[in-house]
Amino acid sequence: MARYILVRVLDSIPTILLVLTLVFLAMRILPGDPALAVLGDNAHPETIARFREQFGLNDPLWLQYLNFLRDVFTFDFGNSLVKNAPVATLIANNLPYTLELTLAAMVIGITFGIPLGVMAAVRRNKWQDNGFRVFSLVGYAVPDFYLGAVLLLTFSLSLGWFPINGAGTDFASRMHHIVLPALTLAMLKMAFIGRLTRTSLLEVLGRDYVRTARAKGASERRVVYRHGLRNALLPLSTGLGLSILSTLSGSVAVELVFNRPGIGRLLIEAITERDYPVIQAGVVVFASVVVIVNLLMDLVYVAVDPRIRVQ
Amino acid sequence: MSAPLLNVQGLCVEFGPKAAPIRVINDVNLRVDPGEAVGIVGESGSGKSITSLSILRLVPEPPSRIAAGSITFEGRDLLAMPKSQLRHMRGRDIAMIFQEPMSSLNPVMTVEAQIGEAIMLHERMSRAERRARVIQLLRLVGIPDPESRLKAYPHQFSGGMRQRVMIAIAVACNPKLLIADEPTTALDVTIQAQVLDLMKDVREKLNTAILLISHDLGVIAEVCERVLVMYAGHVVEDADIRSLFENPKHPYTRGLLRAVPSLTDERSRLYQIPGSVPQAGSIKQGCPFYARCDLRQNICAQTMPAMSRHSSSHQAACWVTQNLSEVRSA
Repeated sequence: MARYILVRVLDSIPTILLVLTLVFLAMRILPGDPALAVLGDNAHPETIARFREQFGLNDPLWLQYLNFLRDVFTFDFGNSLVKNAPVATLIANNLPYTLELTLAAMVIGITFGIPLGVMAAVRRNKWQDNGFRVFSLVGYAVPDFYLGAVLLLTFSLSLGWFPINGAGTDFASRMHHIVLPALTLAMLKMAFIGRLTRTSLLEVLGRDYVRTARAKGASERRVVYRHGLRNALLPLSTGLGLSILSTLSGSVAVELVFNRPGIGRLLIEAITERDYPVIQAGVVVFASVVVIVNLLMDLVYVAVDPRIRVQ
Repeated sequence: MSAPLLNVQGLCVEFGPKAAPIRVINDVNLRVDPGEAVGIVGESGSGKSITSLSILRLVPEPPSRIAAGSITFEGRDLLAMPKSQLRHMRGRDIAMIFQEPMSSLNPVMTVEAQIGEAIMLHERMSRAERRARVIQLLRLVGIPDPESRLKAYPHQFSGGMRQRVMIAIAVACNPKLLIADEPTTALDVTIQAQVLDLMKDVREKLNTAILLISHDLGVIAEVCERVLVMYAGHVVEDADIRSLFENPKHPYTRGLLRAVPSLTDERSRLYQIPGSVPQAGSIKQGCPFYARCDLRQNICAQTMPAMSRHSSSHQAACWVTQNLSEVRSA
């Protein structure tokens, strides 16, 4: 098992390297000069030159690249060009909010998505199934920034049930703050997880071993949950991994709409300000999360399916 | 005659929309006495599997439905029974094994969990008692060193071993009737013989009645005393195994027997019945075997013959042979 994990971790290094390289190049190719972005269009040429020198922007590209890689692997992302704070601190301050939001959205998405999918599969072509189909279509079709704005207008501004912006301080207020953003992200999760559950459960319920379970005298409930869902979880766990990742990227828009702190918002601000170190660090964090989530999903697979364990 | 264990009368099963149903099982009568072994033989598509699945109402509804007939087990009507009640009979009174040992076991559950489940659903016992019973069952079906295989998953067993596990599941609660739907078809010949021996063995030890479905008359002859021949959803012949082999009354049965290869045979080519099984529901009137029959007469195209009795244990549905005292064996 340890060996399996090690192999999977080593496997992901080239992926991360590739992402790092792409980010590095993209930032240099895109138009816009960080010195101008920071100092303003009217800055004195000498100030600009000093700025460029100070942040190593005059070095040849390959040297910048090597410095960049060194920084990444020593977790030293330098200082923000704009915010006058170490990038590591900025990340450390913002990441928990994004993780908290992602987690909350996933919990809501799974808690409601799986039972909805089971219901739609078991009551196939009945009103429950049709109703769920409409719901999931809406869930897919409505963009999260729009849904977020609607929820914000309705429940925060008009009804005043939830705070309008920020993320709260103590536990209770953080929970209070997270409801609407998490719901916004969870809508798509519910639709996605529900559809996935429905499809894979329907497929599994037609299998021979489900018939065997019925022939044994198992109740429909037992057939669906014990024999059906357990097997339907195999394809579902891949989908859950994808879903976590899409929640993470969805959090960018939601953090902006709800004016919440978070990696997504940090990244967007950094991009508009050409704050290279922050962008690079933000993307490294995102890429690492992707790799970690994929690794976790592989482990879930092993836990769920005994056939993989042996190989 | 003793009271039948299983009695199927006039069973009709339909598929498709109610307005334009496709009838796949037509007026099937079937009787199994306590401890008796009965076979159903027929080509693919003859309706033998659907018949066997209908008994436990395991045919998916929709798209199929039991349109007419009655199925009684020890005098209780299985079709009138609410599903929740029928569930308690599944596995306890009537158990079933299937054709595909590779896919009939749940891939993510250990064999102990799967056999244990069959026990747990019908009998109250402690975990330890249940484990002891599972080991005993595995031993009964001839799995070597059962204690060490409890935690094994189906993919760690060969096809033959999986079918043994299936049989262990089926006999876990000492059912009165064991329905085996092509239990040996997916296995190679030596394993086939072992599984058939096992079924005979189980029957002897537990006095279980057996309903064996197969396309292979040899397999049926190995286990059963009586056999029903099905063709296109109809039972066309019902006889004790000896009369069937020595003196088949239906042209289709005769064709089936001629198609069995033999070692002493001089023929370079095996016999085959010309044509193929008609598509379900395509025969609206007359005998379904009419198009392929070498004895056909005009009446056969008009009206489906009823079963006529040739002896106390032999009946067949054929216009031609019912009038002849003896038909020359082909």
